[in-house]
Amino acid sequence: MTSQATSQPYMNAGPSGVHLPQQIALVTRRNLLAIFRTPEALIPPIAISVFFLLIYESTLGQAAGFVPGLSGNSYLGFILPLSIVSSALAGAGLAAQNLVRDIESGYFDKLLLTPVSRTALLLGPILAGAFILGIQTGIVIGVGLLMGLDPVTGPLGLLAVIGIAVLLGTGFAGFTVSAALGSGSAAVTQSAGFIFFPLTFLTASFVPLNLLDGWLATAAKINPITYVLQAMRETLNTGWNSSVLWQGVFACLILAIVMYALAVYALRVRTRRS
Amino acid sequence: MSNREIEVDNLVKRYSGDVLAVDGVSFAVEAGQIFGFLGPNGAGKSTTIKILTSLALPSSGRATVGGFDVVTQANQVRQIMGVALQDIGLDSLMKSMELLTLQGQLFGANKGQAQARAKELLELVGLTEAVDRRVGTYSGGMRRRLDLALALVHEPEILFLDEPTTGLDPASRRDLWQEVKRLNQSLGMTIFLTTQYLEEADELADVVAIINRGRIVTEGSPAMLKAAVGNESINLAFDDRSVAEAAAVQLAGLATSIQVDRAVVRLYMEQAAGSIPAVINRLQEADISPISLTLTQPTLDDVFLQATGQSLVGQETEPALAV
Repeated sequence: MTSQATSQPYMNAGPSGVHLPQQIALVTRRNLLAIFRTPEALIPPIAISVFFLLIYESTLGQAAGFVPGLSGNSYLGFILPLSIVSSALAGAGLAAQNLVRDIESGYFDKLLLTPVSRTALLLGPILAGAFILGIQTGIVIGVGLLMGLDPVTGPLGLLAVIGIAVLLGTGFAGFTVSAALGSGSAAVTQSAGFIFFPLTFLTASFVPLNLLDGWLATAAKINPITYVLQAMRETLNTGWNSSVLWQGVFACLILAIVMYALAVYALRVRTRRS
Repeated sequence: MSNREIEVDNLVKRYSGDVLAVDGVSFAVEAGQIFGFLGPNGAGKSTTIKILTSLALPSSGRATVGGFDVVTQANQVRQIMGVALQDIGLDSLMKSMELLTLQGQLFGANKGQAQARAKELLELVGLTEAVDRRVGTYSGGMRRRLDLALALVHEPEILFLDEPTTGLDPASRRDLWQEVKRLNQSLGMTIFLTTQYLEEADELADVVAIINRGRIVTEGSPAMLKAAVGNESINLAFDDRSVAEAAAVQLAGLATSIQVDRAVVRLYMEQAAGSIPAVINRLQEADISPISLTLTQPTLDDVFLQATGQSLVGQETEPALAV
């Protein structure tokens, strides 16, 4: 029959190596397909981020005159990154929800029986989550532009902001993926995300870092989100500042690496045979 | 690539609380054979298959699939085996073509090869009409067939089926039997299946191992097992078990073996028809009247009954001749 002709490809497959980038692409693509097939799931993250933007701007935008160095349009540039970060978990967590779906349906166990590497199985949902956050950020920026956002660094600056958001997304997605693997439950995965919620406020959320003091200042200084906010704000309001940008990127990378390690551990525990 | 055999040596699986799910099971499956594990729920069938498919670890003992050790060479085992378990794991948001293509690609095929293979398999399991529908809209029978197709994507040499037709309607069941036989005959695929259905084991298996309470009770081809029980049986139904037991005592010596199954007495012997007068005489002398008397060919249920003293739940023998 055709057995001989098609038996070749299966002999070439290995757990990793040559096929790894393709494997990652396959798993990521499938995750994204699942997310886009339930489009209603995309609405809450986008709605939340736009809502935050509108509400911060309208309630605090007028008061910005009292904050040294901020007023009018640059407050929009100041508050936009906060709205991105506040809602980042929702968008990045969508991929983890699909992972839970796979675990519950048993399809995940099937994937484990294929030669697909563990790296690809983790990076798939993580990259998908980061991608979704990128889209979400793009939409929020669009709304910001409509509200009069005028970035000092122009369109390139906007791209940089999206880039940082995507990088942040890999960290958040890594965390929700760990929760999904650890619990196998949609409810737990959803709730786990709320651990990050305080992080988005223990930071220079509404005023610049130098205006904070006491315990909040200390907390903000060790919070990676602070540097992400600063990087985005600097790029939108002040100009290209490589050291601030690198601090933001570095903060994202640390978060991403720590969360990826957590996800690796969670996967190992889940797939441990007993 | 593999020797297409399965070897199991003194497999034991102990769960917490000293529950022995598998208690020293040993058997061998030859290349190209269909081997059936027949037994009731909780007998240890699913546990055994989980160990063989590298999903669980044995407490002790060894097992090799295709020549590869299931504990130390799990990756190689996964390459040459296909698995379709009782719990069907499918992504309900995907379409069947997408699932099958992805499976092929994960096993190393390029997109074109994977798609061709997917089409081939969809035809094999009769799902070409539902190609563009999401799996979530499929019936139970369709999902099982897709599950089987998924297990076959990478052309495994050994196929594991855990209760493949449980919950299926009779028509779907027969279709699946046909496919399994076709796979075995045209591709020489070694097949290990577990089932609680007699007809399934009878219909499909070259060799049947009857498993009960974690142990293999008897093993052989269906024909051989049934012949060992006796060629035919006379079945006498009584009002209740106590009457049946009393009758069995009266009939001692008339048959190769006598079993009491609920309120039915089964007499196994070579030439049943000739013994009917003697049986009726004995019963009349003891003033015991049966409700009915039937003559049947032994089934695997009789084999199970004789080996374990119990009947496989829910199964009834079909009368070949009613007197």
